[in-house]
Amino acid sequence: MLFETILAIGMIVSAVFAIYLKETIASVLSLSTLMLLIALLYFNLNAPLAAIFQLALGAGTAAIFLLAGDSLTTKRDETTSLKTKFLAVVASAVLCVPMLVGTVETGSVIESMEISLSQTIWDLRAIDVLAQGIVVLTAAIGVILLLHEERRRK
Amino acid sequence: MDYVILSVTLLAIGIIGLVTKHDLIKMLIAIEMMTAAATMNFVVFGSLMENSLGQPFLILALSVDACITAVALSLAIAIYKKLNIRDIRDLSESQAEETEKNQQKAKEDA
Repeated sequence: MLFETILAIGMIVSAVFAIYLKETIASVLSLSTLMLLIALLYFNLNAPLAAIFQLALGAGTAAIFLLAGDSLTTKRDETTSLKTKFLAVVASAVLCVPMLVGTVETGSVIESMEISLSQTIWDLRAIDVLAQGIVVLTAAIGVILLLHEERRRK
Repeated sequence: MDYVILSVTLLAIGIIGLVTKHDLIKMLIAIEMMTAAATMNFVVFGSLMENSLGQPFLILALSVDACITAVALSLAIAIYKKLNIRDIRDLSESQAEETEKNQQKAKEDA
């Protein structure tokens, strides 16, 4: 319980740092820390594959993408008005409170299902995996086209 | 329920970041955070139900999330290369100026 509490506090602190630190590199590092803590939580919840994926994609790949994006562009100082901040708090409250109120009580619906991970991926969700492959390929083609178009214009 | 509160807190921080920040990279960071908060529920509920059904869903969601990040980032880079803009407010101003120019040109032609 203590370990989970420490993880939760660390997650919230790193999330706040990721948003409010001025330097983008520091923000990306904070985001990676958040993903690392989430991966530790998954390990703790006995979901090692999810933890490894979270580490690889969340902490690794996304951080590399964001750092590459930051190095390819330069930013200017930004200021946010009080009205926008208030609007943001209201928007997050409106979107998040119904989630808390409408959350199902998981304690009463626990039913153990003995299905292995590979069985789930290849038997139950085979079409999802196929569709995901198409999505990944489409994204790759989209990125190539976008960057290629830019080079051609130059 | 504790994990749901944690997930909702992260989601709220992400939403606040998405609304208050105008830098494209910072907005992407906020979106990453929101997706991480949302996908956390797959594993948490799967773990509570004592099966591994949540993990495949997380894997699918994370892969799609990485694709979204890649496409969004390449769009941001393309915008920066074309307009030299990284702030979303400048983007809307630039769009407004361009529309104004087009309207003036259309009037002159007419």
